[in-house]
Amino acid sequence: MRLERVIDHTCYWVDANARRMTLALARRISRRSFLSRLGMMMAGVASLPLLPVARSFAQNPIQEIGDPQSCDYWRYCAMSGTLCSCCGGSQTSCPPGAERSPITWVGTCRNPVDDRDYLMSYNDCCGKAVCARCSCHNTEGDKPVYFNSNSNTVLWCFGTENTSYHCTVSLVLGAADE
Amino acid sequence: MNKRSTGPIAALPLLGLLALLAGGDVLAASARTNYLQYCSGCHRPTGEGKAPNVPTLHGELGRMVAVPAMRSYLFRVPGAAHTPLSDAELVAVVNWVLMEFNKETLPEKFQPITAEEAARWRQDILADPLRYREEHWGAYDWK
Repeated sequence: MRLERVIDHTCYWVDANARRMTLALARRISRRSFLSRLGMMMAGVASLPLLPVARSFAQNPIQEIGDPQSCDYWRYCAMSGTLCSCCGGSQTSCPPGAERSPITWVGTCRNPVDDRDYLMSYNDCCGKAVCARCSCHNTEGDKPVYFNSNSNTVLWCFGTENTSYHCTVSLVLGAADE
Repeated sequence: MNKRSTGPIAALPLLGLLALLAGGDVLAASARTNYLQYCSGCHRPTGEGKAPNVPTLHGELGRMVAVPAMRSYLFRVPGAAHTPLSDAELVAVVNWVLMEFNKETLPEKFQPITAEEAARWRQDILADPLRYREEHWGAYDWK
């Protein structure tokens, strides 16, 4: 019996306080003010992704054109090998089951969209039998094999579990003029 | 690896630093760009290498430059000596690697290496870098 009285008192106290605070708020703030503030908050939250801070985290800042499955694609100017993009992977990722070599051949290619040169890393994908499709051999900056660190004809499957060559991806390391 | 990459305008902000590092020569590309183009294929873009075959560029080089025989070693190893960079470009890259990857271990009063030193040292390529290292510094850890 005593417990019920305590609960009743507590509920009454909460009710009374809520009523008093609501009335105090209603006297100070108009309904229009509340609605306008709510509207501003919603618009602010919605426009946050448009701010430069949010956009700076966006992926893939490089504008590109062309077909990554064609040997004429701008990234392949110094490529020698077969294109991972037509062997079950993409221009930047190895096909399933192949391991990307950490040791690579680096060249530069000019992006036709912004006319800037980019440092390209040609990483071989290794550990599977060679992919016989989409062979591509471009020689920009290539040197004969007796300068082996500057020769794209060398197979760059170093530092991988298995050294058999499968295909090559082309990663952008950054702009060459930075 | 074409050479049309860097215009004079892009190099302007770095000119002061590079001129200081390279003893007054004006360079076509920044040290970072040359590092990425001529070194990062094996030492990797962030310099950690791939043990055991490709040594890391972090930490140990900063201690090496305090020992005269090892200061020249950095230019006498075949990879550095044979690289298709001019003396001024090579010394800018090595000084950049020292300051970028070895800040913690560099001597307190580190004097950047000069292009004249680099030119002299790189002529004297080491036929057996591992043996030289063992005699003047310590054996390479193949683990």
